[in-house]
Amino acid sequence: MNISYNWLRTYFNKPLPKPKNLAEILTMHCFENETLTKKGNDFILGIDVLPDRAGDCLCHLGIAKECAAILDKKIIFPKITLKENKKNKAKDYLKVEIKDKNTCLRYTARILDNVQIKPSSKYIQERLIACGLTPINNVVDIANYVMLEFGQPLHAFDYQNIEGKKIIVRYANQNEKITTLSNLTYSLNDKILIIADAKKPLAIAGIKGGKDAEINNTTKTVVLESANFNAKLISQTARKINLRTDASIRFEQNLDPNLTEIAINRAAQLIQADCKAKIAEGIIDIYPNKVFPKKITLLFSELTKILGIEIKSTEVVSILKRLSIKIIKKNEGAITVEVPTYRQDILLPENLIEEIGRVYGYEKIKPELPCGHLSPVSKNKNIYWQNKTKDILKELGYTEVYNYSFIGDKEKNIFGLNPIEITNPVSNEFKYLRPELIPQLINNAKENLKTYSNFKIFELNKVFIQDLKEKKELTKLAGVVADTQKSSQKIFTTLRGELNHLFNELGIYKIDFEKENQANENALAIFVKGKKIGSFGQVSDYILDQINIKEKLFGFNINFEKVQQFCTKEKIFIPISFHPPARRDISGLISKDTQLEKIVQAILSVDKQFIKSAEIYDVYQGKNVPENQKSVSIHIVYQSNEKTLDSKSIDRLQNEVLSKLIKSFNWQPR
Amino acid sequence: MDFSELKDSIQKDLSQIKNSDELKNFSITYLGKKGKIRTLFSELKNVSLEERKKLGQEINEFAKTVQNEADKLEQIFKEREYKLKEAQNKINLDLPGEKIETGHLHPLTITRREIEDIFERMGFEVVEGLEIEDEWHNFDSLNIPEGHPARDALSLGKTLYLKNGGLLRSHTSAAQTRYMQTMKPPIRIVIPGRTYRSEKIDASHEINFYQIEGLMVAKNVSVANLKAVMQVFLKKFFEKETIIRLRPSYFPFTEPSFEIDMTCLICNGKGCAACKHSGWVEILGSGMVHPNVIKNGGLDPQKYKGFAFGMSIDRLTMMKYKIDDIRWFHSGNLKFLKQF
Repeated sequence: MNISYNWLRTYFNKPLPKPKNLAEILTMHCFENETLTKKGNDFILGIDVLPDRAGDCLCHLGIAKECAAILDKKIIFPKITLKENKKNKAKDYLKVEIKDKNTCLRYTARILDNVQIKPSSKYIQERLIACGLTPINNVVDIANYVMLEFGQPLHAFDYQNIEGKKIIVRYANQNEKITTLSNLTYSLNDKILIIADAKKPLAIAGIKGGKDAEINNTTKTVVLESANFNAKLISQTARKINLRTDASIRFEQNLDPNLTEIAINRAAQLIQADCKAKIAEGIIDIYPNKVFPKKITLLFSELTKILGIEIKSTEVVSILKRLSIKIIKKNEGAITVEVPTYRQDILLPENLIEEIGRVYGYEKIKPELPCGHLSPVSKNKNIYWQNKTKDILKELGYTEVYNYSFIGDKEKNIFGLNPIEITNPVSNEFKYLRPELIPQLINNAKENLKTYSNFKIFELNKVFIQDLKEKKELTKLAGVVADTQKSSQKIFTTLRGELNHLFNELGIYKIDFEKENQANENALAIFVKGKKIGSFGQVSDYILDQINIKEKLFGFNINFEKVQQFCTKEKIFIPISFHPPARRDISGLISKDTQLEKIVQAILSVDKQFIKSAEIYDVYQGKNVPENQKSVSIHIVYQSNEKTLDSKSIDRLQNEVLSKLIKSFNWQPR
Repeated sequence: MDFSELKDSIQKDLSQIKNSDELKNFSITYLGKKGKIRTLFSELKNVSLEERKKLGQEINEFAKTVQNEADKLEQIFKEREYKLKEAQNKINLDLPGEKIETGHLHPLTITRREIEDIFERMGFEVVEGLEIEDEWHNFDSLNIPEGHPARDALSLGKTLYLKNGGLLRSHTSAAQTRYMQTMKPPIRIVIPGRTYRSEKIDASHEINFYQIEGLMVAKNVSVANLKAVMQVFLKKFFEKETIIRLRPSYFPFTEPSFEIDMTCLICNGKGCAACKHSGWVEILGSGMVHPNVIKNGGLDPQKYKGFAFGMSIDRLTMMKYKIDDIRWFHSGNLKFLKQF
């Protein structure tokens, strides 16, 4: 809201602080002053009135009242005197009807005759311009002027275009239309409240006037409207039809229904003064449920407890009085007050505490750390393991990315996803919630391949699954690797090693990789204790082709919540032997399909005490090896913790290993 | 050869030794078991006992000096040899350091951890809310009932709804009552996480952004406590002596409500372009938990008071690293990510 400093000054006998100081004071005690601009000999304060004060502070008098309260100054209200024309009675001109009294809390109207439409007087034009409004003609300008002064939106209709001498406040019909003053046509419906005459809509209630009864140069008789509508209705309609106006933002929150009369009289007075218009006798005023001031009792102990500072009761009384809040009863522990109806935002003792606190000054409250039991805070396990995982991946050279939670049809179709759909998406690219992290990581890779030839990226984040029952959120971990210089085999084995390392660091040692039947030829499923937790491998060409990526990509995709069940910080030290180890190598042929990891496990299981490690150091298929078979060489370390193993025991162990391999895998020693 | 002749020849030879081989020869010739100094002793047989004693001592002392000289030379030659070897395996000291490729954490992860860590040290437990929320938790429970302009502002246009029900939380505050209902006061929690709004994406607006919500509910909690906790947090986070101030604000779920400003870190409060010459930067929203919210959390507002605050992790990250455009965070661009 733009507030003219010069205008504001007219409400005080005594001088106000300089504009810059006043802006600062308002910022600290009421509303943030966002801009301060010099305009001629005036200063314009751009004040960000808080939404709950839209009803009383989006106007100069409202801000003047705030100044008066904070600076403890007396305010001079404008004098309103009317000279009514006894010959004409307002009620003979017009009947007003409110169809549903829940929609319109009050409707006040006045009739002005003999109106001469012309430009408004200089000071009104200047003030409107200062506040960012464009002068139109005397009647419209005065209506706007009164809104800027009192905060009550007013509307003026040309009487000659009101049919049937009637104004009806009603919901629109489905097929009605209105063209507004800005020449935009809106299709109305039965959720939109309108001001109509006997036949047609004249205005969208509380939001915008229509063209049909617009004030123009031929206007002689004016109907002034000063009303109060259901705030919720105005707020929702304005947003639904995407038309938020100076009027609607004031009607939206906490506008005092008692204000309509003062404002309409003020406008009538100004129009009369401007063009000698005749004010028809009487005011049309439909006000079914009069709003009265509220009484609230505040305990001083609550005030102290919440603010954390003791304010003397005399000071409290003084602040409340300056805010025009009437003290009805006061004793040692409590105060009962009556709140003026223009402060519709004050309903609870807490609201009063805020009023007292802000006027008193929050800067006077000394910071004080909370006291209490020093119970230790429990670690959030999810966050702990996620952080740990991110750190391990970082050590392995992976860079973390964050992608949007949204994907579009492209990702959905290429990856065959079944995502949750958003009713009101930001755009088509963001139509669904992502059920997988991989599609976006592949997109990241595509973009980064323009600059980098090798990189590793990952994301650990929420995805959203349609079929989950209780909550539809799932934490997943996925990564993508690109390296144009390395062979696919090398990248794959490195990735496999990295995943082993990651799981080991998370306290998981028993990991199985298994080929899945239908899946991609170059990918493996990952199992922990028999549970499938994810997969890894080369991204299929089918997908890369559709995304138009020429380079090979690899990736992993893990259900992190499943992994987390197995994560542990436990570790047990394995005693280190000081006796010399014996190293033996064995080579042999086995079926091509035998999993190497199974062989290692089999060897280790022969003797847990003396076989320290078994490591595959060569695998060969091709020349000199029969088809369907592979040649495997394994390095085995034998060692005892108690003694030096003699060659006899080593040979015995080695033979046991061999017979186990022969028995289990049809091993043919070479 | 008598003693003095030997002395002269030794002095002469010593001065001519150029390398360790020559030194070895010298040592054999003079200092060895069959060296010339030793043989001098055998020649002493012919002199008187008295003389022998005296000369013997002299020769011994002389032998010691020569040995010292030889040792010194050996040391010099050794050093020279090592130098020579090093020179042969000369490392080019001019070449620049190799580029070390490591992984990087996302800057938002780094900031989030720092924030969580500070609050944990102050006794706040880190919890997570749901990203798919219901209207009650996202709005109603927070004293934003149907028809409230704040509800309209969020629900008509800004909030994303899902086809099969539910919505995407528009603020982490949505988790407040969830935890109030399950925890026993004193409650001290922070709720970090991803939030969602329908925005036109630009340098300072995103559809996914990150907030951290803080909540303390206990028998005695005041604005003075809020002020202290916020001041400590900001000092620790920015590692600077910053001062905060509270300004009146409005949030439906707190009363009184505050905007918290801190002294501008760029100009230390003197006023600069970054703080629009005010010396202050708006940093977070906060307030005393509204009694209706405490009630919705299943607690008695007469008995329990609380403070709540919410801040943007994106904004703190942008301030800390001077990032000028919020869109970098979801860019997936390694040129950006590798800087952290």
